[in-house]
Amino acid sequence: MKLRSQFFLITLFSLGLVHAQNKQLLYDFYEIPQSLILNPGVKTSEKWHTGIPVISGLSFQAGSSGVSVNDLFANDGIDFTTKVRERLIQGMSRKDDFSTTSQIEIFNVGFRGKNRPDDYYSFGMYGETDIIVYWPRDLAILAFEGNGGANIGRSFDLGDLSFRGEMVNVLHFGINRKLGNSLTVGARAKLYSSIFQFKSTSNKGSFTTRLGQDNIYETSIDVDMELQTAGANEFIDIAEEDTSNTKSDMIDLFRKRALLGGNLGLGFDAGFTYNLNPQTTITGSILDVGFIYNAKDVRNFTVNGSVTNEGLTVFLPEDITELDNDLWQDLVDEVEAAVPYGENDSGYISLRPVKLYGSFRYDYGEMETTFTEDCGCAISVTEKTNRNMYRNSVGAQLFMMKRPRGIQAALSGFYQRRLGGTLALKTTYTVDKYSLTNIGLGLNLQAGPINFYIMGDNLLAYRNVADSNYASLQFGFNIISWNDN
Amino acid sequence: MKKLLLWRFSMPIVICMALACTEEQNFGQFDDLSVTPTVASSIFYLESTEEVINLTPTAIFYAHTFNFDPFSEQYVADHLLEGVLLFEIENTTSKQLSLSIEFLDENDDVLDVEVFTVDPEPTMLVTRSVAYGPGGKSLDILRNTSGLRVTAENLGDTVSVSTAEDPKIILGSAAEFRFRLQ
Repeated sequence: MKLRSQFFLITLFSLGLVHAQNKQLLYDFYEIPQSLILNPGVKTSEKWHTGIPVISGLSFQAGSSGVSVNDLFANDGIDFTTKVRERLIQGMSRKDDFSTTSQIEIFNVGFRGKNRPDDYYSFGMYGETDIIVYWPRDLAILAFEGNGGANIGRSFDLGDLSFRGEMVNVLHFGINRKLGNSLTVGARAKLYSSIFQFKSTSNKGSFTTRLGQDNIYETSIDVDMELQTAGANEFIDIAEEDTSNTKSDMIDLFRKRALLGGNLGLGFDAGFTYNLNPQTTITGSILDVGFIYNAKDVRNFTVNGSVTNEGLTVFLPEDITELDNDLWQDLVDEVEAAVPYGENDSGYISLRPVKLYGSFRYDYGEMETTFTEDCGCAISVTEKTNRNMYRNSVGAQLFMMKRPRGIQAALSGFYQRRLGGTLALKTTYTVDKYSLTNIGLGLNLQAGPINFYIMGDNLLAYRNVADSNYASLQFGFNIISWNDN
Repeated sequence: MKKLLLWRFSMPIVICMALACTEEQNFGQFDDLSVTPTVASSIFYLESTEEVINLTPTAIFYAHTFNFDPFSEQYVADHLLEGVLLFEIENTTSKQLSLSIEFLDENDDVLDVEVFTVDPEPTMLVTRSVAYGPGGKSLDILRNTSGLRVTAENLGDTVSVSTAEDPKIILGSAAEFRFRLQ
């Protein structure tokens, strides 16, 4: 049964089951100005562009490397606890993650230098939210099954708890320069204004209950865990106050943090486009090589130590004079002293999740170009050549991203079709650990100076969104000029 | 031609977005989730040499009452479904011994008692499992327990010495409780 009315509910739930920042449809789609964000060294043809504020670039991605909504909530008559046990608790590994990434472009402007027409400058601001939570497998099993029964002797890995997240506002300025007909390079400086940040990614330790040396069971805990937070407390305090000003106070604090009033950081992007020959191009870019120094509104939580106990123990004759009636409290105090819980406000550095793109493209099918000397193509114009001369492109793209537990990679094959200077279409097939059937479609439409693009990923999954492991949507509006209009 | 291609390529996106659908989902199932972990832990351990037993002038060579609150903690009391207390007694002394564990409420009134009488060595390891909850003793015994009184009594003489190496009486105990978290 198909229920379109539940689409938004599913989508909202799915946003908590999100992965990936891969924008394989937008990458190297150089007809769209936002492709500069993914590769500062992308080919640029326009004279200037400006995004329509707030709607120039919106992207939301949703997915799950483990269960889908349908796996758990399908109305299939299977006992829900059984589904949770088999598909979630036992079915997912510590490598599975739940994450969300969204990006909203506030403004984005680009223009070609008057004195240096080979340079294309761009600047703007966008907000980004990135949260990743790895499936804490052992902790989930501990909570679901406990340490007793068949789990006697099992060591639960406390390092399974790993997550990080942040909301950050990014101000950026980039330069894109053509170095001859074959090479375009670019770099972008970024100023990060953090709204909040948290991370707990270096946890270690174990919790084990085994047969004891003296008593029946012996329980040991060896733990070194830390949660670092910055920027969250003031939001929590405002929420807890729950006054009539709560909403406006939240907005004021959000605005202040977004506009350099919170923790700050620096970073850069770099990229290139190189033509091996007129029809073959390779590109590459590295994004978000940067950090944020978190010193304001910091609150960290730590648990560190190790202890083993076999319950209350009395050895005679050694303890014959021990007449304390608070043996249980003594044991609790002993454990708390051995594994102390602490809080501090020490500043810390958080690294941005570095991303890497690379691509190989082969163009074919010559077409009549509509570009003239007014196109702002700088070197290309001077030499009376234009690289927008092929109707079709095929190629492959590689995406890699630094995550707390290693590199997350995706490989895409693509086909792109250009129809004059007004319409360009791109389709991709992407393989990663989350999906083997991810087919995406992107459309770029240039109607006069108005540019509109829309891209959808994993389209096959729209047959049953709830059963999808991945979905994404990007769209935006720009105004682009290739001449003096 | 262009319009045709535009139609062919863009319509799938638009159609997918507009007509995205899903099989019927029942989010109310979450209320049916049952999370009932079994928590295991040792409770109390008593070990005494035969020398202590022989040197104690009275038959009771160990008696101690102490606070024991974990069973009556509010969270435990509210979420406990069932439980098993495990006891193991090993006697390698030359005497018959009696061990008792009394479960006391806040007023030190006895809620329940477990008594073990063990023969002199050579004897097998004595084990006992006491179930609480459905089919067993009342869970209220555990929920209201705030103290334990452990008593060890010598039912034999005070001069004999076991031929076993390092003769001792050992009482071990543990609990396996099942809780409902959801």
